[in-house]
Amino acid sequence: MSAIPPPSEVQVGDEMAPLSRTVTQAQIAAYAEASGDHNPIHLDLEFARRVGLPGTIAHGMLEMAILAEAVGRWAGAYERVRELGCRFSKPLLPGETVTCTGRVVAVDAEAGTATLHLEAISSRGERVLTNGRAVVRLRG
Amino acid sequence: MPDEPRTGRRYVAPGQVVAAERASRFAAAVGGADGTFSPEAVPPTFAAVYCLEPTLAQVFADPELGIRLAGLIHAEQSFEWPVPVHAGDVVDASAEVASIETKRGLTFVTLILEATNQAGETVCRGRSLLLMRGEGR
Repeated sequence: MSAIPPPSEVQVGDEMAPLSRTVTQAQIAAYAEASGDHNPIHLDLEFARRVGLPGTIAHGMLEMAILAEAVGRWAGAYERVRELGCRFSKPLLPGETVTCTGRVVAVDAEAGTATLHLEAISSRGERVLTNGRAVVRLRG
Repeated sequence: MPDEPRTGRRYVAPGQVVAAERASRFAAAVGGADGTFSPEAVPPTFAAVYCLEPTLAQVFADPELGIRLAGLIHAEQSFEWPVPVHAGDVVDASAEVASIETKRGLTFVTLILEATNQAGETVCRGRSLLLMRGEGR
């Protein structure tokens, strides 16, 4: 686990280590089972095509969970992730790799928090998650 | 145009158990072939399970709100966790329709989410933006 530097050393402009993950249909099915979101656009190829999609797509919330993991790894613990948000801009298709990146845009030394801007890009070059933002507790 | 009668509708899902086994299955699904990060922790977006799913199920089932699942898009999501969620917590979740309006043939539904633990502490606040074609109902 890569620990973040002490709060005094985290600076605006610091980059979060990118996290890349190839999302398979089996993983999408496992996420549907684990989350309880069985919407057929994620699971049923014919249904997905009927509603105008190129095929099944990953749950936006699965992508957001991977984004949360990227931030959690940077912060050193999930419990340090205080806020997380994003826009689900483009679909991620099974077999594609999603890469989450982030950069520190503000440090509040008094509160002991850092704010990151985040996004996620697919291996097809689509910006699948945009307007990403996290607030991370730097100590405790 | 804002639609007053639908704004303010509230859906409650009390007694959601944050089960360790379920959280670890969730974390494993997120990790996929890479394995689970921080297996002892409840992943932040497990809020999808203890807050989003049980309230959204009611949102979707409410004929007065008229959300159609076909063509529905989850457009934006944000969460705040004032207090960490732990396995074994029992939380009361709620979702409230903050606004619902139709613009240029698309209906924008904003939901405000909240989850409170057994000690009465707010463990999660959230905001969901859903998009659907047409006016709903």
